[in-house]
Amino acid sequence: MPVKFSIFSLATVLFRPKAVFDALAVNEPSAAKVFFGFALWIGVLPPLFAYIGTMNFGWRLGVEPVFLPQHMVLAISAAYFAALLLGFLSSAVIARWMAITYDASQSLGRCFALMAIVGAPLAVGSVIHLYPHAFINVLVLVPTLIWSMYLLYRGLPVVLQTGPNRGMLMASALIAYLLVAAVSLLGVTVALWGSGLGPLIGY
Amino acid sequence: MNFLSLHKRLERHSGLLIFGILVVSSIGGLVQVLPIVLDDAHGAPSAGLAVYSPLELEGRDIYIRESCSTCHTQQVRPLLAEVKRYGPYSRTGEFAYDRPFLWGSKRTGPDLARVGGKYSDAWHHLHLLDPRAVVPASIMPAYPWLAQRDADHGRSIAARMRALQMLGHPYTNEDIAAAPVQLEGMTELDAVTAYLQSLGRSMHAEPQP
Amino acid sequence: MKYEDRIVTAFTGCSVLWAVLGMLAGVYVAAELVWPTIDFGLPGLSFGRLRTLHTTLVLFGFGVSGLIATAFYSVQRTSHVRLFAPGLAWFVFYAWQLTIVLGGVSVMAGWNAGKEYAELEWPFDLAIAVAWVSFGVVFFGTIARRRMEAIYISNWFYGALIIVVAMLHIVNSLAVPATIGKSYSLFAGSQDAIVQWWYGHNAVGFLLTGGFLGMLYYFLPKQAEQPIWSYRLSIVAFWAFVYTYIWAGPHHLHYHSIPEWVQSLGMVMSLILLAPSWATMVNGIMTVSAAAKKLRSDPALKFIVLSLAFYGLATFEGPMLAIKSVNVFSHFTEWTIGHVHSGALGWNALITFGTFYFLVPRLAGTQLYSARMANIHFWLALAGVLLYVLAMWGAGVSQGVLWLSLDELGEVRFSFNDVMAAMKPYYLLRFIGGLLFLAGAVLMAFNLMRTFAGRRTVEIAPPAVPAARGLK
Repeated sequence: MPVKFSIFSLATVLFRPKAVFDALAVNEPSAAKVFFGFALWIGVLPPLFAYIGTMNFGWRLGVEPVFLPQHMVLAISAAYFAALLLGFLSSAVIARWMAITYDASQSLGRCFALMAIVGAPLAVGSVIHLYPHAFINVLVLVPTLIWSMYLLYRGLPVVLQTGPNRGMLMASALIAYLLVAAVSLLGVTVALWGSGLGPLIGY
Repeated sequence: MNFLSLHKRLERHSGLLIFGILVVSSIGGLVQVLPIVLDDAHGAPSAGLAVYSPLELEGRDIYIRESCSTCHTQQVRPLLAEVKRYGPYSRTGEFAYDRPFLWGSKRTGPDLARVGGKYSDAWHHLHLLDPRAVVPASIMPAYPWLAQRDADHGRSIAARMRALQMLGHPYTNEDIAAAPVQLEGMTELDAVTAYLQSLGRSMHAEPQP
Repeated sequence: MKYEDRIVTAFTGCSVLWAVLGMLAGVYVAAELVWPTIDFGLPGLSFGRLRTLHTTLVLFGFGVSGLIATAFYSVQRTSHVRLFAPGLAWFVFYAWQLTIVLGGVSVMAGWNAGKEYAELEWPFDLAIAVAWVSFGVVFFGTIARRRMEAIYISNWFYGALIIVVAMLHIVNSLAVPATIGKSYSLFAGSQDAIVQWWYGHNAVGFLLTGGFLGMLYYFLPKQAEQPIWSYRLSIVAFWAFVYTYIWAGPHHLHYHSIPEWVQSLGMVMSLILLAPSWATMVNGIMTVSAAAKKLRSDPALKFIVLSLAFYGLATFEGPMLAIKSVNVFSHFTEWTIGHVHSGALGWNALITFGTFYFLVPRLAGTQLYSARMANIHFWLALAGVLLYVLAMWGAGVSQGVLWLSLDELGEVRFSFNDVMAAMKPYYLLRFIGGLLFLAGAVLMAFNLMRTFAGRRTVEIAPPAVPAARGLK
């Protein structure tokens, strides 16, 4: 089964990831097709949901909602989109760079496809941003994240054609990068709040 | 002799290695910590600061016993929102009689540096015995045993004040002799309340500009 | 002449026991933040005392026992001699465990020195000092009698742990005793704060980072059957680490009433600290990678490699939180708690678990009882720590922004109580994460116990190497 990485194959990616992994092991997709046909589109979802949610309901952090002016919400959503794209591209490129060390497939297309599959549940799960209540978002996105991690450990050895041990090592190394990227995003976010992009802060 | 062969000597002599670690790890402390500890200016009390009374001292030691500083900080940072929420920001001189310091590292409950005088004694009594009776959403533990125990039931207040006197707290021998009598008939609840009411007192005492 | 391994077994067993009990106490205090009345009005179960018990048991019970076990195991094998003064080593064992037991009871009874991570009162401080110095005598005595010329890298880190923690503990514990269970710190106020965080930060540095790096430097190459990737990098990283870490303490006191230059210096040194921390991580990852082709399927290695990922996170997050403009949001919030636990659970606990899965079958001379159980443990641990850390990130960032938010009139926007009430769901989530992690640890305890129950008598002799010439 050749994998057509288009936004229309989202359901296959979500519900039959193992079949997609096996197919990717045989067929090498083009990185451009994965990116423009699939990743870019699912990458739009979280900022879009966040924009709609924030404009309608405000940030709900467990107290009365915080509403922000439209231009600020737009700017934040755009920054969110940029951060997601940067995160996706960098992890795919880093996966390819690590592939040399772990004797895995160095196909950029496969690395793109793997990260897209791993990210897909999170992108779809981000539908919860429509109601930007922080805790409800954490509640939905944490199990999704654990599922994504599982997909990474499971899919990496198959897609990048390396042994189970090396695949496990490489997946852990990628998790290290993803954790650092996530915490950097948090750090940059609060630093931006402090400098005025976000709610009114008194310090 | 290059750097690697220099290191070869270190890793072949356990005594040298120990000495090397000791020297290299001490530098930071000697340059950054020692000058502050030796500089009396950092230990001097601010103008309005009074030493803790025996009852307040007893309350403070109970506060330490129950690890209240795990959840309550005593440090108002010089940030607009923080000063508006709690009061004037904390100054070095306010803590000269705090052994140990109780700034805390986590604010699960609110900061207490300026709590003195904010609530009545009766409020504190009720709140310590049953926090949810006055703050329905509170997650603070209840401390029912405070009301059941006499203050200084270990009869050690004089010994404790003498230890502090040795460390330079301005207690006179008469203060120490009178202390056990002052605590008679008081409960631990009274002591903790007295301590809480003393917090931030020196700041209120200072003339406002 | 055989290696003295019974003491390694004894420390390992106690470490596992303290891990389970300490994490149980942690899960219980986490539950108390959700259901505040489950202390049933008992002083010993009250949050403040039980939280102190939690940190004491996991740090000094689980962590230090595991470190001493692995230090005694590896120092014999890297020196090719039997442990120096085994009698003294057994004294260290009994003194240390007794201190933890009685110290734990004293904390629940309300003895408390009031300094974070150094709450045990002065009699215990004395006992700790004596036991620690004895540990140093056994360790360095073994090294002094080694039959290899060079002192192996793991021993530098264990050595730094022993020396620096002794220095920190003694200085920070200086106090005037008033009664048997009460003393007053020699330092007061701001000065005390600076001394305390010089201690507190470097207990993290030299115990939770340096000590466990010693564990890494021995057990990782051992398991990968591959020498450490870069010897030169490990030298540079070691000395940079020992020098830089000491300066970073004041980042715990940003915007506090201490001199501004101390805060800024602490921040700059914290940022520099990222370099040696990550150099060591790179060294570890490259060592495993170089051996990737010949690795066996081994649950122990899974844990160690994942622990490196969390080590990478924690040592990056630390310097980031030391930046004042980030710290202003994160300070005093749950973010700090999340950061500590990404290190303590993700790095320290995982590498110790991995090491024990490697060590116990060797001590018992048999196979691990159940590799499948260890794999389940792996997933429980990963899910638990992720849940914990993400819950605390969510809670911490919320607290940070809500506490500092102003309304259009420039007044504080949210009352403290409202923000506190909003934390409840995160506390519940954190409780579940902790519970998963604890369940994994219990599974490990059972697995290791069954492994040890099937032991055969093993005594391993050092290889017959002639003593190197020119040894001092």
